[in-house]
Amino acid sequence: MIVESRELRMKHRIPVVKTERFWKGLEEGKVFKTVCKCGKSYYPPRAECVCGATTEWAEVSGEGIVECFTVVHSIPAGYEWSKPYRIVIASFGDVKIMGWSNDELKVGDRVSLYTAKDESGVWKVWFKKV
Amino acid sequence: MKVGVVGVGCSKFGQRDVTIQELAFEAVSEALKDAQLSQEDIEMSVVGCVGTRGYELMPAVVVNEYCGFAGKGPIRVEAACATGSAAVYTAYSSIKAGIADIAIAIGVEKMSEVDTATSAAIGGRAGNYLWEFHFYGTTFPAYYAMHATAHMAKFGTTEKQMALVAVKAHRNAAKNPKAHFQKEITVEDVLKSRMITYPLKLYDCSPIGDGASAAILASEKAVKEHGFDPVWIESVGYSSDTSNMSMRESYVGLKATRMAAEMAYKGAKITEPLNSFDLATVHDCFTIAEIMAYEDLGFCKKGEGGKFIENGESDFGGKIPVNTFGGLKAKGHPLAATGVAMVYEVVKQLREEAGNLQVDLKHYRALTHNVGGTGHFCWVFILGR
Ligand SMILES: [Zn+2]
Repeated sequence: MIVESRELRMKHRIPVVKTERFWKGLEEGKVFKTVCKCGKSYYPPRAECVCGATTEWAEVSGEGIVECFTVVHSIPAGYEWSKPYRIVIASFGDVKIMGWSNDELKVGDRVSLYTAKDESGVWKVWFKKV
Repeated sequence: MKVGVVGVGCSKFGQRDVTIQELAFEAVSEALKDAQLSQEDIEMSVVGCVGTRGYELMPAVVVNEYCGFAGKGPIRVEAACATGSAAVYTAYSSIKAGIADIAIAIGVEKMSEVDTATSAAIGGRAGNYLWEFHFYGTTFPAYYAMHATAHMAKFGTTEKQMALVAVKAHRNAAKNPKAHFQKEITVEDVLKSRMITYPLKLYDCSPIGDGASAAILASEKAVKEHGFDPVWIESVGYSSDTSNMSMRESYVGLKATRMAAEMAYKGAKITEPLNSFDLATVHDCFTIAEIMAYEDLGFCKKGEGGKFIENGESDFGGKIPVNTFGGLKAKGHPLAATGVAMVYEVVKQLREEAGNLQVDLKHYRALTHNVGGTGHFCWVFILGR
């Protein structure tokens, strides 16, 4: 015998005040990392370096190299609207970036990045085979 | 001050029609009986539970109450899929610190109370929600699948080699009455099974299930007083890594495993891991994880994990039997139950109580390796008699 629990719906309000430049950047077609005078670079970007200094915003551009990828066929809740999607991590110099790609890619391929909305309206990073 | 394991218990893993507290008590009562102790003897109860898929969101209280530990200084710990090891470590630390002489570590998880898509979404949030799941829908198989594509590209590891991990796991689990799966499978079955997340197929993945396990730990003093015959915790290693996959150095192994192993080996003065243990239980939530574990734990060189399974080195009669009980892959992986259940399985082996899954003992020493997340946490325990 089973009892169904009362429904609990959770949707979180996540502050992105400190990384607003990144979020706005996606809408402008730009991908930002942050760099610190101490030599550290951050992606995902963060406004504060572990050393305590304030970091500076720097655009990521040029070609990256695919380090690993996968294609998700077993779709999780929150992505019901999506067909199977390809997640890729590519290195762009001192940072690695996660993104989606519509291109068939293999490890070692060269990619460029762009930003676009997915079907749920979320701006994100995409990779294109070079 | 040495710390020994003096009692262990484990529920049947699988889809269980019992509540979380009832499930926990199955393991706890078995452990108490095993140690010939009652609740009054336990000074500290540590409840390991990830808890995000069950209806009880603060599970320690209900579990402790049902098991008869209300008032026993309860604490709940969480370290993703290594939560059970975190519980054992916390109980161990309490004894080391002189806070308790006898402590119980409970690992319990009910994963079957939500549907599969919800479970996949919760698992996918186990890295860094905002920068991974929110943007890219990273699921748990996806994280390990990315390691698999990197390992395949760099070392030529094959889907067939990964399938062999699953075949071995199922063969062993078929003889383990506590296992979720009791059916043997073939390489062909694995390769033909439904694609979950390329290149991981259904049979490359551990199941969503429920389970509980418990281990009672005692100080050297309590061991003498009670006349226990313990399995000693000879050494503990632990480490962690970044929440974001994109911040990792590489994807062909887990740095947290390498660091935890180094610490544990140093503590137990082990220089040749392959010739120091009678068996090992490693974190095989996905088949690629076991292959990477062989390498990161130093059982073989980096990149040779695929050959290691292919040559039968991790099977009975091989260089080191790994996951003799069926592993997470086939015995099951109810998150928090896993780490404590690894201790359970190893203790049974070291006491020569593993029945038809018993390995021959020469060193009277074994290793457990439990990863939380994708290397977000790692514990390595070395146990011996
Ligand atoms: Zn800095």
